[in-house]
Formats: sequence, structure tokens, C-alpha cells
Amino acid sequence: MADVKLTGVHKYYGNVHAVRGLDLTISDGEFAVLVGPSGCGKSTLLRTIAGLEDPDDGTIAIGGAIVNDLRPRERNIAMVFQNYALYPYLTVNENIAFGLRARKTPEIEIRKRVSEAAEMLGIGNLLQRYPRQLSGGQRQRVAIGRAIVRKADLFLFDEPLSNLDAQLRDEMRTEIKRLHHEITTTMIYVTHDQVEAMTLADRIVLLRDGKIEQQGAPLELFERPRTGFVAGFLGSPSINLIPATLTAMNGGLSVVFGSGESLTVPPAKATALSSVAGREVIVGIRPQHFGRAGDGPLRDGVVPYSAVADLIQPTGTRTFTTIKIGGVDAVAELQAHDVQSHGERIQLAIDLNRMVLIDPATGSVIA
Amino acid sequence: MTFSLSFNGTEHRRPSRLGRVLEDRLPYLIVAPAILVLLLVGLFPLIYSLIVSFQRITMTDNDTSFAGLLNYAELFRDTRLWASLGHTAIITAIALPLELLIGFLMAQLFIDRMPGRQLFVALLVLPTVISPIVAGATWRLLFDVRFGPIGEILSFFAGEPIRILWTVNPAYVYPAIIICEVWQWSPFMFLLLLAALSNVDQSQLEAAEIDGASYLRVLRAIILPAIAPVIAVACLIRGLDLVRIFDIIWALTEGGPGSMTETISLYTYVQGFSQFETSYTAAISFLVIALLTLITTLVLKRMEIAR
Repeated sequence: MADVKLTGVHKYYGNVHAVRGLDLTISDGEFAVLVGPSGCGKSTLLRTIAGLEDPDDGTIAIGGAIVNDLRPRERNIAMVFQNYALYPYLTVNENIAFGLRARKTPEIEIRKRVSEAAEMLGIGNLLQRYPRQLSGGQRQRVAIGRAIVRKADLFLFDEPLSNLDAQLRDEMRTEIKRLHHEITTTMIYVTHDQVEAMTLADRIVLLRDGKIEQQGAPLELFERPRTGFVAGFLGSPSINLIPATLTAMNGGLSVVFGSGESLTVPPAKATALSSVAGREVIVGIRPQHFGRAGDGPLRDGVVPYSAVADLIQPTGTRTFTTIKIGGVDAVAELQAHDVQSHGERIQLAIDLNRMVLIDPATGSVIA
Repeated sequence: MTFSLSFNGTEHRRPSRLGRVLEDRLPYLIVAPAILVLLLVGLFPLIYSLIVSFQRITMTDNDTSFAGLLNYAELFRDTRLWASLGHTAIITAIALPLELLIGFLMAQLFIDRMPGRQLFVALLVLPTVISPIVAGATWRLLFDVRFGPIGEILSFFAGEPIRILWTVNPAYVYPAIIICEVWQWSPFMFLLLLAALSNVDQSQLEAAEIDGASYLRVLRAIILPAIAPVIAVACLIRGLDLVRIFDIIWALTEGGPGSMTETISLYTYVQGFSQFETSYTAAISFLVIALLTLITTLVLKRMEIAR
């Protein structure tokens, strides 16, 4: 068990500045997910924590001790690789026992721990097989088994689910979450998949261009993104971003789109924004904040909007419907039967209490 | 056949009857000359020498009568033949593992990226490019007791004149041959093993490092099994070459002193071109072919099992 503290970490690959002065603290027992688009430095950062890469500047501390000069084997960490990295010429049993044997663990202890891990992961019947005889999901379990028997201070996962098909990925994601509940070791998990990040993390660390864009609890990032990038990265389907101008209108504040349409900003948000009226903004509205308008009166901050359904993508539970807002394509997530056919005019209600307004110049969220 | 001939290059005409026949047979017609040449220079001499091995041909008289298995029976009484096979075995048994070991160590040394790596690799591989007879002649000069730099260097370190008759003294002829052979062919092993080592899965090595495995454990569990097929093929190629070793020994000792370093190739040459025993030489050749076929088959079979 250990906390992890990175201070001013830089990493260059030739001319590429992969990690740019990164500070990060992950507390003991936390499940932290490093997420971001490819090339954001998340894998590099994980490999630097593991000791497979040396940072060019800054310090890395695990459990309070600076480990910059320690080799990976001396850091007491365990890692699960994207391609599993199982040893192809050893049986599953020997794969899992490999790290224990390398550390001269007594044979009785090895047997006990291997069978415990195999039990936990449901691979007890596969112990005598070789990796090539296993399916992707089974290999993934073996890779995790190899990590947990070591009883390491810190678990590192490098995109462990990206080689699995969708159904298996959901299954393994649940298992990894359960695993963390059972063994409560500090875990750092790298993924480019925002669903994995949202579902697994105690804390999401969203990286962009080698720097932390924003970090916090999943719902905090989802509901209160600090930049347009964060708002756009999290959520599926992703947030609708529509350019507009903030304009004082009828004693309140409205966002006016290029097409001339406008939406009234809820009074609660408007007061903070009165000083910036006249400014260009990007309006961010999540697909989940659309709904079919009912007969009763609308709540505060919920505005009516009439639109024509263009593309309709039913998923079973929800139906993603493409409409135009202010002349721009936007996706509304509606109930399964809210919309029937292409070209149908639908009356929508948009909850603007949770919209975000982004400064197009800086990309940061104004309100 | 899925391709068709297009005569004017613009459109496919409906082929005539002759055209269709040509179209069907064309692939065979194209490879026919090559097959013919192969049969002429490969199969024909092989069969002809098999016939010769059952005759009584020598270059000194006109007798071409058949002798049955006489030549083959003679093989088993020929102690110099079996001695030469023994010499060949000794050289192979010492040089092959040495080349493998040195090649592997060099490959391990050069597996990491470093500035000038490609230049060094190119320089190290240079010996294999030289013709073996030139390598042998060069080493003969290097070993020379009067002018050779090797004697000079040894004398310098010993602090007293050291005169070793490398190519004559029975205690030194084998070391001399093996030094030359290993010098020339270790780079070949190096090159193959370097390629094999750079194909070992990097993340497996990283996983083993995180697991805390020692180098020996990683070597045994990951590296050696991964490069084993390449090692087997490299050993087979070098092993067959070593059994046929001729040039280096011819340049260094000519099989001497006496017939002490006479290998099977040298003995075959002596029988054929200084004793002029044509039919007997053919019989020796078939003995060698049989031995090599046996070894190759056994090695390939083992590789098959390993897979």
C-alpha cells in the first residue's frame, strides 16, 4: 500500500516533449485513471512511474520514498500490459508464479497464492495451459493474476482492455472494479476510453499535450468541466458545441446563434454573466439535457425548442436524434419512442441550467 | 489460370484455340528452362557419380567395369577416412559452440541502441564477406613464426621471445584452425542472433523486469525459447558448412602435420585429385551425403517436435 507523488516531471523523446512539468498526487488506496487522447503522454507517464522510462526532470515518490534511481523491480509495483505480455513458453501456473519465484518465495507460499489468485479470477482450471491456448479474456485474467499474487504496493494498468471485444471489455471492467474493492491497493489505470475512465475511477486525471487538463471525481469533471476540451472529451455522445453571441435581451441574457435563433440563459447563470454581454461564446449542451416537451409548465431554466429530426439512431433504451440548433448539427438523447421518423417535427425542452459557456479564444469555461 | 494474354495491350480479345492452349501451358513453358538447367547440373551429376561409385574407374587406366559394392566395402577398412571424419567432428564440435556463444554475446552487446551501432555491425560482419581461402592465407601470415604479428604481440606481453609454429606444431594446429574459423564465422551467428533478439517481445522483458527476474531467469524463460528456432537454423547452416570445411585448413596446414588436420573434404580431394581414385572418391562422397542427410533430418525432426 502506498501513495504516489509526482513533482515537476518532464519527459522528452528526442524533440517531442511528451510530459511537461506534471505534478500529481494519488493517495493510498485510490483508483486513479489517466485518460486522454492518443499522444497526450498518459502511457509515458505510467511507464515513468513504473521505471521503464526515466524522467528527464522532476521526482517520483512511491510510499513517501523517491524512486527515481530505483529499477522497476525495486519499486515493488505490478503492471498489466496492453498486450498482456504473458510469457509464451510457461504455463499459466508458471506465468502467475514467475514473479514469486524470481523473489525466492517459499514453494508452499507460491502454491497458496497462485491458487488464491486463480480462484479469485476464475481461472483455476486453466493453470496447466499455455497462453496461446487461451482466449483474449482468459489471457487478460492471467495477466491480472500475475499482478495480484505479487502483493505489490502499486498496480499499474496500461490500456488493459483495449484488445478485447466490446462485451468482454464490459465484463472485465466490472471485474477490475471489484478487484479494487477486494484488494484496495493503489491503482493507476491508463485508457483512452472515457467510459472506462468514468466507470472505474475514484479520480480521473485528464491529460492533454503532456499536462493535466483537469482532475477530480468522474461526475465532477462531467458536470463542471473547466475547459471546452474536458467537456468535449467526457460523455457519450459527446457534448454539442454551438457558436453564439451573449446578448442582453428583454431584461435578461440570451445566447444568439448565427441563424438568428436564441435561447434565454437561466437567471441563475445570467447574473454572473451580465458583465460579459456582447461576447462571442461556444454554447455546450449535453445530449442528455434534451427531452420531449410535455404538456405541463416547464421548470426554471428549461426552454422549449422546436426542431426537425434528421438522423435517428435507436440504441434500445435511448434514441440519439440529430437536430439543428442555430444552424448547427446537434445530438439529442431522447426516450426510445420519442421520435418516430426522419423529417418529423418534434417539440423539445432543453435544460439550460447545466449548459456550459466556453470562451472560444482560450477554450476555458466561463460559466 | 486466372490471367490472360492481352496482345495489343488495349483490350482482351477472345483467344484463339492456339492462344488458349498457350494460355494454359504458359506457366510451365516459362519455368521449363530453369528446371532443365537444374536437372542438367544437379540431378545428372548426382546420378552419374552414383553410377561411377559402383565402377572401377581410376584416372590411371581404362578399366570401367562394374565392381558392385567393392568401393563401399573399402570405406569401412579405410582408417584414414575414419580419422578424417574424426578430425571434422572435432573441429565442428569445438568451433560451432564457440561461434554460437561469441555470436550471442556480441548480439547481446549490440541489442541496445547506441550511436554508431550500424557502422560497428557492418564492420563486425566484414570477416564473413571475405573468401575463406583469403582468410586462411591471411591468418597463415599472421601466425607466421618469423614475420607474423601474433608472435610479436605474444612476445611483447610475455617479455621474452615466443616462437610458436602454429601451422606445424601438433599442439597448435587445431587452435590455429579454430581461431581462424571462429574469427570468420562468429559474425554470421551474431547477425542472425541480433535479428532474432530484436524480435523478442519487449513488453515480456519489461514484465519480467517488473516481476524482478534475474538475467539468467529471463534468458531461460523468455529469450532462449523465443530465439531457439533461429539458433537451430543457424547451427544447421554453420554445422553443414563446418563438415565441409576445406579452404581455411588448406591455406593454413594443408591437412598436416602428416594427416593430423585432414578433414573429410580434404581427404576426398586428395583421393580424387592426387590419388586419382575416381570411383572410390565417388563412394566417399555418397558416404558424406548420407551422413549429412541423416544429421539434417534429425535436426529438422527435433525442430518439428519443439514446435
